[in-house]
Amino acid sequence: MRSIKSVIIPALVLMGGLLLLSSFYGRHNGNEISKFPYKQAGLTKQQAAAHLLSRFTYGATPGEVDEVANEGLEKWFSQQLDAKLPDDSLNQQLDKFDALRLSNEQITNIYPRPGLVAQRAVKEGLINKDSIQSNKPAYKKLLQDYMDKNGMKPQQELFRQFINQKILRAAYSNNQLQEVMTSFWFNHFNVSITKNQCAEFIPDYERDVIRPNALGKFGDLLLATAKSPAMLYYLDNFSSSSAIEQKPQIMAVNMADTGKQAMLLNKLKKARQQRGLNENYAREVMELHTLGVDGGYTQQDVTQAAKILTGWTVYPMGEYGKGNNVMNAINRGNLANGLVHDGDFLFVPNRHDQGEKTVLSRHFAGNGGYDEGVQLLNMLAHNPSTAKFISRKLAVRFVSDTPPQTLIDKMAKTFLSGDGDIKQVLITMVSAPEFWSKTALRQKTKSPFELAINTVRSLNAQVTQPYQLYNWINRMGEKVYYYQAPTGFPDKGQYWINTGALLNRMNFGLAFASGRVPGVKFDLLKLNKGHEPESTQAALVTYSKIIMPERPLDKTIQQLSPMLNDPQLMAKVDKASKSSTSPVKDALLMVGDSAGRKAKMVVMPKVEDTKASMMAQVVGIIIGSPEYQRR
Amino acid sequence: MLSRRGFLKAGGLTLFGVGLMGGIPAFIAEAAAQDKIIAPYKKGKTLVCIFQRGAMDGLMAVTPFTDQYLKEARPGLFMDAAKNGNDNPLIDLDGRFGLHPSMKAFEPMFREKRLGIVHGIGSPNNTRSHFDAQDYMESGTPFNKGTASGWLNRAVGLLGHDALTPFTAVSLTSAMPRSFYGDNPTVAISNLQDFALQMRGNPMGANLAAKSFEELYDQTAPGLLKDTGKESFDALKMLQKADVKNYAPANGAVYPNSALGNSLKQIAQLIKMNVGLEVAFAESNGWDTHFNQGTGNGIFARNVADLSNSMMAFWTDIGSNYQDDVTIMTMTEFGRTVHQNGTGGTDHGRASCNFILGNAVNGGLVHGSMQPLATENLEDGRDLAVTTDFRNVFSEVADKHLKINNDKVLFPDFTAKPIGVFKA
Repeated sequence: MRSIKSVIIPALVLMGGLLLLSSFYGRHNGNEISKFPYKQAGLTKQQAAAHLLSRFTYGATPGEVDEVANEGLEKWFSQQLDAKLPDDSLNQQLDKFDALRLSNEQITNIYPRPGLVAQRAVKEGLINKDSIQSNKPAYKKLLQDYMDKNGMKPQQELFRQFINQKILRAAYSNNQLQEVMTSFWFNHFNVSITKNQCAEFIPDYERDVIRPNALGKFGDLLLATAKSPAMLYYLDNFSSSSAIEQKPQIMAVNMADTGKQAMLLNKLKKARQQRGLNENYAREVMELHTLGVDGGYTQQDVTQAAKILTGWTVYPMGEYGKGNNVMNAINRGNLANGLVHDGDFLFVPNRHDQGEKTVLSRHFAGNGGYDEGVQLLNMLAHNPSTAKFISRKLAVRFVSDTPPQTLIDKMAKTFLSGDGDIKQVLITMVSAPEFWSKTALRQKTKSPFELAINTVRSLNAQVTQPYQLYNWINRMGEKVYYYQAPTGFPDKGQYWINTGALLNRMNFGLAFASGRVPGVKFDLLKLNKGHEPESTQAALVTYSKIIMPERPLDKTIQQLSPMLNDPQLMAKVDKASKSSTSPVKDALLMVGDSAGRKAKMVVMPKVEDTKASMMAQVVGIIIGSPEYQRR
Repeated sequence: MLSRRGFLKAGGLTLFGVGLMGGIPAFIAEAAAQDKIIAPYKKGKTLVCIFQRGAMDGLMAVTPFTDQYLKEARPGLFMDAAKNGNDNPLIDLDGRFGLHPSMKAFEPMFREKRLGIVHGIGSPNNTRSHFDAQDYMESGTPFNKGTASGWLNRAVGLLGHDALTPFTAVSLTSAMPRSFYGDNPTVAISNLQDFALQMRGNPMGANLAAKSFEELYDQTAPGLLKDTGKESFDALKMLQKADVKNYAPANGAVYPNSALGNSLKQIAQLIKMNVGLEVAFAESNGWDTHFNQGTGNGIFARNVADLSNSMMAFWTDIGSNYQDDVTIMTMTEFGRTVHQNGTGGTDHGRASCNFILGNAVNGGLVHGSMQPLATENLEDGRDLAVTTDFRNVFSEVADKHLKINNDKVLFPDFTAKPIGVFKA
C-alpha cells in the first residue's frame, strides 16, 4: 500500500503546476494559447484586436474590433482555429449553388467540357461532323438542343457558381480563418481553370481536398492534393507510367551493324521512357509544395520521385470521359494485385515502376506499389526544409512580405515537433512578439480579392450578384482560380500594385461607394446608426473611423479636409449629379465605362440627394486611399 | 523593380508641381533631368510579340507546295501555287514554299526582305497540350513548370537601363499573360481608355476624386503606393493628353475590326507617343482548327487574313518614322498534324512556323529546315519535326532588337544559337 504522503505530494506538485500553467496558458476549446504579447509591443487591446482581424479575416466588419476585444483575443482566435462557428445564413445563401454539391463524376456528365459535347453529338449522329462550325447560330442551336435534351449545362455555369460561393464565403463566413487558410492553401497547391483538363475538378478540389484540411496536418493536406484529379491532371502525373519494356518493331529489320542497331534501340527506349515518365508533379511537389527551390534536392531526386509516383492516376469517370482504356482494363481484370481505388483516385500497379529508388538518400526497395508514394510524401511533409518553407510562406501571408527569420525559426520548430499541425504553427506565430511588433502593423498590401471582400465587410454590404465583384477583382489584377503557373499568385505588394491596377483600385472604390457595382447594396446612414453626418468634414471623420478602425487617420483626414471643405463643393457635386446626362468628352478625367468592357453596366439610379452623393464620394475616396490598400 | 523605384525616388519634382493639365509627366521630366532617359521623348526600340493561341497550322500558312507527301496527306486541305484552273493559288515565295493567299498583305514585305519566316520552329518538349505548350513557350523553360517568371518579363529586366516607365512593358490583354509574369514592372490592360478615373455620369465627381486621390497618394508614406500612385497619375494624364479615344491611324492604315487589330492599334498609339514602350504583347485566338479548317476560304483563311492585315495596318500606321525601331514577332504553341483528320481539320502536332517583321530582319527567306514530309521524316510518324528550337529565334530577336545579351537569364539552362533571322 502506498503511503498517503506519496500520493499527496505529487498531487500538490501537479496542482501547483496547473496553477502556474493557468496563469500562463488559456485553454480554449482544447487549444492551448498563451496570452498574446501585444501589450509588450505597446499596443492597446483594441489595436491588437484590429491587427488580429486584419491578419486572420477578410477585414473587420463595423463593430467587430470592439467585439473581439471584449470577448478576448485568445478566445476569438481559438474559435477561429476550430472553425466550428455556425454559418446558417451563409449556408442558406449557398444552397442555391446546386452544381457545388455534385461529385466529380456527376460534374463530368452534367458540365462536360465544350469540346466533348460536340464529339459526343457527332458520335451519336445528331450533328454532322461537317457542319461543325462554332460561330454559326444554327450550329450553336443544334448543340444547345442536344445539351438540353441530355441534361447538360454549360461549363461556364459551374465556374460561375464556384466563384460566387467563394466570394460569399469570404464575405460572410463566421469561420473567417478557415476561408483565409483555404485561399492560402489553394494558392500554395495551385491548380488553374485555364487548364481544361483539370478545370472541372477544381470545385471539388477546394471543397473536399483543401477546405477540410486547411487547419489540419500538413501531411494530410499534401497527400489529399497528390491524389486529387485536379492536381493529377494539372501537373500531369495522371499520365506518368514506367517505361514500357517492349521489343520495338525496329528489331524486325535485319541490321548488319549491331552497334548502330544498339544505338537505335537505345534511342527508341529513351523516347519511350520520356513518353512514359512525367516528372512535372514530382518536381513541383518538391520545389513548390514542400522543400522549396533551395530545399536540398537534385534532379536525380526528382526523377526517382517521379518513378515512385508512376501509376498514380484518376479513376475513370463520365460516360464519355477520359480513361476508358483504363476502365476496360479494370473490367477485364487485367490489373495485377495492388490496385488502389480511393474515391476519384486510382493506383494502377502495372503502370508503376517496380524498380528500386532513392530519394533524398532514403532507399525505397522495389515493388512497393502505392505505399511507396505515400511514404515519399510523408517523408517530404516532415522534412526540415519543408518546415522552414511552409513557415516562411505562412509568415509572409500573415505578418509581412519580409518576415523576421527568428519568427520563421520558431514556427518551423513547432511544425517539426507538432507533426506538421497547422494550428500549432499558427499559434506559435501569433504568440510570438514578432507578430505584434509595431513594424508589422499594416505591412501587407491587400490583394484585389482582399480589397473587394474587405470593402463588402467594412460597409456591411449585401451581395446578391457576387460575380460583379469578381469582374472588378479581375480588373484589379487577380483573376482568382485562373492563375496559370503552379507557383500561385506571388504574395507580395509589388506584385499587386502597378499603375493600371492602382487606378482600378481607385475606380473600384468610387464605383462601389456610389452604388455602381450591380448586385451590391449597403446603407451608409445605417452604418452611422442612422445619423447623417452634419458636414463633409464630419462624414470624412465618421466614415474613416468606421471603415478603418484603430488606425492613425489624422493625416488622411487632414489631407482630404481642405478639398472637401471647398465651399463650392456641394454646389459643384449637386450641379454635376443633375447635369449628368452624357459623358463629357473633354473632361480631364474620362467618364463612363470604357468601350472595351463587356460587363453589363447597370445605370445607377440618379443620385438625387446631394448629401448622399457627398457621402458616397467620401467613402469612395476612403476605399481608394493608400491607407485602405494596406492591412 | 528596384531600378525604377530608385529612379523615381531620386526625382525632385513633385506631382503637383507639374500641374494637372498638360505639362510633362513627372517621370519623364525626372528621367530627362537625370540624363537617364532612354525611351521617353527619345525614340527607342520596341519588340511586339503576338501569341497565336490554339496552335497555327504552319503547313497551311506557309505550304511546302512541291511536297507530294503533303498533297497525299491532305486531300481536302492541300493548296497549290499553280495558277492553272486555280482561282486562289498560294503566293509562291521561293519555288518551294507558298504563302496562304489570304496573307497577300505580307507579300510585299517578304519581297522587300523585311519579313522573315522560320519554318519547323517549336519546342523540344513534345507535349501536345495547348496549356502545357503555351506555358512552356511563355515561361521559356520547356521542361520546367515551376518557373515563376515569363521570358518577356525577364527581357524587361535585361534592358540594361534604369529609365523604365509605366509603359515599358504593356500587354493588351485583360489578364496578365504568362510571358509577362515576374518581378519586373509590366502592365496588362485590355483598353487604354481604362487608364482613367471613372465616375459614370459625374465628371465633376471624377475630377474631384482624382484630385483627392492624387493628393492622398502624394502625401502617403514613401514606398510602393506613393511611387506607383505618382506614376499612375502621370500615365493617366499622358494618355488623356494624347486623346487615345479619338485616335486616327496615320498613312491611311485600316485596322481590321478584330481583337488583334484593336490591340495593335493601341500599341501603335503608345509607340507614337514615345512613352518608352519597349516590350508589347498581343494575342490572336481561334487557331485550334480541328474542324472544317477550310482552304482558300473558311476559318483558317479568315484567321491569317486578320493576322496579316492587322500586322500590316500597324506597320503602315507607325510609318517610316518608327519602322526602324519596331520588330514584330509571332509565336504559336505548336503546329498541326501533317494528315488532315476526319472532320476537315487538323489535330495537334509539333512544329509550326512564325513571322518576323522589321527593317533589320533578314527577310525574304524561309529560315529553318524541313525534310520531305514522308512518314519516316515525321516526328512520331505524324508531325512536322521541330528543327529549330523557339528559344534560338526568340533570343536572337530579343538580343538583336533590344540589345539584350544575357541569354543565360533570358532562357535558363539553354545555350542559344542564333539562326540568322536578323541581319548580321
